[in-house]
Amino acid sequence: MLTLLEQLDKGSLWQSPGGIHPPELKELSNTQAISRLPLAKHFIVPVPQVGEQARLLIDVGQTVLKGQLLTEGNGFLYLPVHAPTSGKVTDIKPVASNHASGLAVLSIIIEADGLDTWCQLNASDPNTLSHSELIFKIKQAGISGMGGATFPTHIKLNTASEIGLVIINGVECEPYITADDRLMREHSHEILKGIEIIHRLLSPQRIIIAIEDNKPEAAKAMQQAISLSNLPANSTRVTVIPTKYPSGGEKQLIQIITGKEVPSGCLPSQLGIVVQNVGTAYAIQDAIYFGKPLIERVVTFTGKNIHQPGNYWLPIGTPITAALERVGFQPSTTQKLIIGGPMMGYAINDTYVPVLKGTNCVLAPSDDEISPDMDEKACIRCGECALACPALLLPQQLFWHAKAEEYDKAASFNLQDCIECGCCSYVCPSDIPLVEYYRIAKSALRIAAEEKVLAEQAKLRFEARLQRLEDEKIAREAKAKAAAEKRQANMKSSDKDAVAAAMARIAAKKAAQSHEVNQPVNTQSDKAVTETTDKKTAVSAAIARAKAKKAAQTAQSHSSAENNPSQAESTALNEQDNITTEVMSQKDRIAAAVARAKAKKAAQNNQANPSVLAVNNVSEMTTSDDVKNDKKAKVAAAIAKAKAKKLHQTGSTDNATEIEPTETHSVIITATNNTVITEKPVTGSKIDATDLDKKARVALAIAKAKAKKSQQKDDKIIGYEDQHPLASRSEVHHNEPISTDIDTESVADVVLNDPEKDKKARIAAAVAKAKAKQLQQTETKNLELALSNAASQADNFDSATLDKKAKIAAAVAKAKAKKLALQADKKD
Amino acid sequence: MITSIFVAVAVLTIVAIVFGIILGFAADKFKVEGNPIIDQVEALLPQTQCGQCGYPGCRPYAEAIANGDKVNKCPPGGTATMEKLAELMGVDPEPLNQEAQEAVKKVAYIREDECIGCTKCIQACPVDAIVGTGKLMHTVIAKDCTGCDLCVEPCPVDCIDMLPVQTTLKNWDWKLNAIPVTLVSDSQEEK
Amino acid sequence: MAFKIASSPHVGNTLQTAKVMQRVALCLLPGIAAQLYFFGFGTLFQIAIAVITAYAAEAVILAMRNRPIKSTLADNSALVTALLLAIAIPPLAPWWIIVIGTLFSIIIVKHLYGGLGNNLFNPAMAGYVLLLISFPVQMTDWVSPMSAAQQSVTLSYAWQVVFDSASDILLAGHNLAIDGTTMATPLDTLKTDLSMGITTHESLAKPIFSGMAGLGWFEVNFAFLIGGLIMLKLKVIRWQISVGILSALFLCSSFGFLLNPDTHVSPIMHLFSGGTMLAAFFIATDPVTAATSARGRIIFGAMIGVLIYVIRTFGGYPDAVAFAVLLANMCAPFIDHYVRPRAYGHRSGS
Repeated sequence: MLTLLEQLDKGSLWQSPGGIHPPELKELSNTQAISRLPLAKHFIVPVPQVGEQARLLIDVGQTVLKGQLLTEGNGFLYLPVHAPTSGKVTDIKPVASNHASGLAVLSIIIEADGLDTWCQLNASDPNTLSHSELIFKIKQAGISGMGGATFPTHIKLNTASEIGLVIINGVECEPYITADDRLMREHSHEILKGIEIIHRLLSPQRIIIAIEDNKPEAAKAMQQAISLSNLPANSTRVTVIPTKYPSGGEKQLIQIITGKEVPSGCLPSQLGIVVQNVGTAYAIQDAIYFGKPLIERVVTFTGKNIHQPGNYWLPIGTPITAALERVGFQPSTTQKLIIGGPMMGYAINDTYVPVLKGTNCVLAPSDDEISPDMDEKACIRCGECALACPALLLPQQLFWHAKAEEYDKAASFNLQDCIECGCCSYVCPSDIPLVEYYRIAKSALRIAAEEKVLAEQAKLRFEARLQRLEDEKIAREAKAKAAAEKRQANMKSSDKDAVAAAMARIAAKKAAQSHEVNQPVNTQSDKAVTETTDKKTAVSAAIARAKAKKAAQTAQSHSSAENNPSQAESTALNEQDNITTEVMSQKDRIAAAVARAKAKKAAQNNQANPSVLAVNNVSEMTTSDDVKNDKKAKVAAAIAKAKAKKLHQTGSTDNATEIEPTETHSVIITATNNTVITEKPVTGSKIDATDLDKKARVALAIAKAKAKKSQQKDDKIIGYEDQHPLASRSEVHHNEPISTDIDTESVADVVLNDPEKDKKARIAAAVAKAKAKQLQQTETKNLELALSNAASQADNFDSATLDKKAKIAAAVAKAKAKKLALQADKKD
Repeated sequence: MITSIFVAVAVLTIVAIVFGIILGFAADKFKVEGNPIIDQVEALLPQTQCGQCGYPGCRPYAEAIANGDKVNKCPPGGTATMEKLAELMGVDPEPLNQEAQEAVKKVAYIREDECIGCTKCIQACPVDAIVGTGKLMHTVIAKDCTGCDLCVEPCPVDCIDMLPVQTTLKNWDWKLNAIPVTLVSDSQEEK
Repeated sequence: MAFKIASSPHVGNTLQTAKVMQRVALCLLPGIAAQLYFFGFGTLFQIAIAVITAYAAEAVILAMRNRPIKSTLADNSALVTALLLAIAIPPLAPWWIIVIGTLFSIIIVKHLYGGLGNNLFNPAMAGYVLLLISFPVQMTDWVSPMSAAQQSVTLSYAWQVVFDSASDILLAGHNLAIDGTTMATPLDTLKTDLSMGITTHESLAKPIFSGMAGLGWFEVNFAFLIGGLIMLKLKVIRWQISVGILSALFLCSSFGFLLNPDTHVSPIMHLFSGGTMLAAFFIATDPVTAATSARGRIIFGAMIGVLIYVIRTFGGYPDAVAFAVLLANMCAPFIDHYVRPRAYGHRSGS
């Protein structure tokens, strides 16, 4: 019993099952040397060519040099794309692909300048390079399998498996094609240099160059080249194999050379075998010795409708139209144009498609060369297809199931092992396009498998969502219960509340008097500070008002559970209406309410995240209390309660940081809107400049207090900081949904970071908002009241039933304003 | 005569007891936990969670089918799913009670310029495939979208479209006949 | 510029179904010629009636099924079915026998199962079995292969018997006019003799058994064998089924013959009598109703061979080809299901 190596050295061959002997017709194109065609005017370079994604490195209008890198990427299968010639990039657009589907793919259109100027090339000596450097160079040269499958070569050459045998595939079993034949005859030494590099990378025990016996010249040339090469003696040999289609298939070739079968669903490297095409070996040589990327290949133009059939070096990306014009293509009326050979090639209907790395042949047969279109007839189960099948499948069973769209049954007949060689269709007496059925079945199976994965994911997501909603519901109920209990407790100690409120008010007043430089609370107020003082104060005031309003509103919305607070709320509103002249005190009250709320919130937070300081803070304020107004206290209590409740609700969210930017942004909008509103009614109201001044001061004070507080908390507990935006957020929004991801942050950033555009947007938004408000106002019965105190009036109506139309209009207007801002940003 | 009747009764009684014991033993020994039919039915359903069947999700509908509900209430699954369900449940296939959706797979697409950030679609999405938050535009994670249509209705500004999934070289289905072919003679005449 | 598109491969061989069927029909010619020589011109009329009936029936049913008529008729499958049935029935059987058989074959067995490629049973054999069961007398009266009788079955005589005497046969069950020209087949004779306690030696001494396996029968079978070998050479059929049938039949009959020559006839008798060769090369090889894989076909053939022997030896009917083929037809899907070739890259079958 001989070992496999001895068998290999002897040149023993095994039988591959099935197979057919179609007319070869190679003499059409293998008589002349490979020549060059004049450069095409335009080139179509699809991106990416191999791999899923790539990033473009060039832009329309840019000039590129021959061999220049056009893309970068980092997918597993990614291969870089290079410019096939020098010229200008005129367009980047989807162009019909050189693919059986003809679907458009993104392509770079390069207008050749005719100079064909190379970019800087890094020639190197392979002996000075390490393995990884060689692999990197092969990858950077964009070398993929040239046999048609275009699998990245560097992956094959960088396999983790121990490689014992490398088979150089020069079989070229498809009829008509002679590209590899001519390449071996004319460039055997270059191919051998490429093989030397492969040998260095994989260090196999044997290298077999397999050539079919219908190419004796090529076999001779390769044999000679081996004797002149630097490869270890007796490690490399040419094995001539009998001509049979599809001996050139990777799996079939391995079976013929070694007698082994590649297990289903595995790669040959599992057997310690790597198969490389001769064209690939040539390209490796070019890439290492000359630094040339893979930007041209030999393409066979053949068929009786081509007047100058032969092999041509064509830059990758050459439109097939351009090449066909130069080889004397005369189409017949029922012309088929086939990319690849007649057995496995695909027909294209548009010739303005590029030559790709795997395009080895363009076949333009006359009508008598190929079989006419025959109607499919009934399968008579003659079994000829099973005899011809090199994969030992039962094609007629596969067909039966594929036609009935029972794809899972077809899969049980090992459909996935079909190599689509076309032998079964070739021998079929009933003219059934079997391979087409298998391809459809295969893609259907693939899609079904993908859909199954997706359905599984959807199910998981759905279940996760249900679980989350359930959890939220439970949490909400628990909080609501806790809040209700707390509220009852608070009712009993209303004195304490009043004390707290008063304390807060005093703190606010103090802060206002100190007139310190305003400490930014958040990015929003930061922006505000940079603008005019008037505006700033107005904005701050607006924020304060908005917050108060919102709080009041929230309180009211929960009125059913909180009768008392809602009463307090309405009292507060009445107060606002009545004491129009005492603007100062009113503002004070609001400020107090806000401050109170903060205190309350702090207390609440302390319960959740125990903080000694915060508790101290509250108690300190309580001691410096100055009881003044019961009503005020009540208002404050109501607002505080509402806030506490909000805090509870939002507290269930676990992702405070994500929400923050959104919140900030919304504050801006609300604030800016209110800026205008507050300013506008001023003209018609009794509120004078001093009022405004005071308001501003109060607002400042609030901001100051907030800043101080947040600073204090910052010092002690970092965790609290996270809670803070949550809390303030609750002032603005009712029901903020929790989203899993936030892409929109950038939008918020844009608005925030560009004050000028921001302003434009704000004005637009504000006008819209104002209009909406005006609409409301005209509808109101208390028109006089509205004029006398527009601001509080607006508040009143906000808290009352709001017209839905107006709301939506406002929302749309806001969105438009946002868009405007974005567009303005883009233009700049 | 009497004895033969007696013997017959006795034999039948013994047989009944023996088989009863066997059955009882089998029921205990080979007890099936849960209801595997529900899982099988669920595996056939398309998991769009669209609720068009009247149940809140695919699992509840699977349970309903296992309890004898009709199998023709799943428009996203189409006739193929209905037939599989009918086969599994051993019932006669029935036409879908709603017009079956076209075979084309679709995903939701939000025209982001028009989105007002109302979050209504986010709340409607059964598989959390929409991201965004209040007052900011939303967008659909196309790969997670099941094309259930549920987000289209709630959108106040109608900025959600159901777009067919684009065919690429990767998911092309090899249906050559679907490729539009212009005749050579036509194009020659043009020249 | 736009071009035609089609799926690969773009080339194909030219041996199409119609041509395959045509070659089958042509390869039947030696056998038909031998049959005409030894059994008179009756077969000629049977063929004519069968072919006309078959095409007419097929055209009608295709029209009813809304299928393309012309292209389907052109596939020659009806022709082969008609020929096989016409060869199989007695040459002087009345015309309505073959008409009924052909109609049944084409309409019921072939088209009601979905037409060519979908039929479970071999149409010709199913038709034959129907006739054999329904009209046993007419179906077992073969023309005597005696040379004198053969000469007496002239064209006009055959015409007269096949067409004119139909009513007589129908009424009497046996036609006096053809008495003397018809008799039981050798296998039938043997069966009858054996059942009467006559040993094979005594039975084979009868004049009907002159020659290797019965006068005329050996030659006819030999002619079909030649036709079959031509088909093999032309790759119209593959060897598996034929070899399976013949070798199984040979083995079984040798075994029986060695065991008890008195009650079992020689393998030669089995191989060259009755419809053995016709079945082995023309009937069982019908791909539609046979197993498809190479191994499955050997099993399928062997099964027919064994069944032929078993039914001939132990069954009630003298010849068993039709029954054997139909029984094997039933098993073909079963064989296909269990005998799957091991696909490339897979450890074992299934």
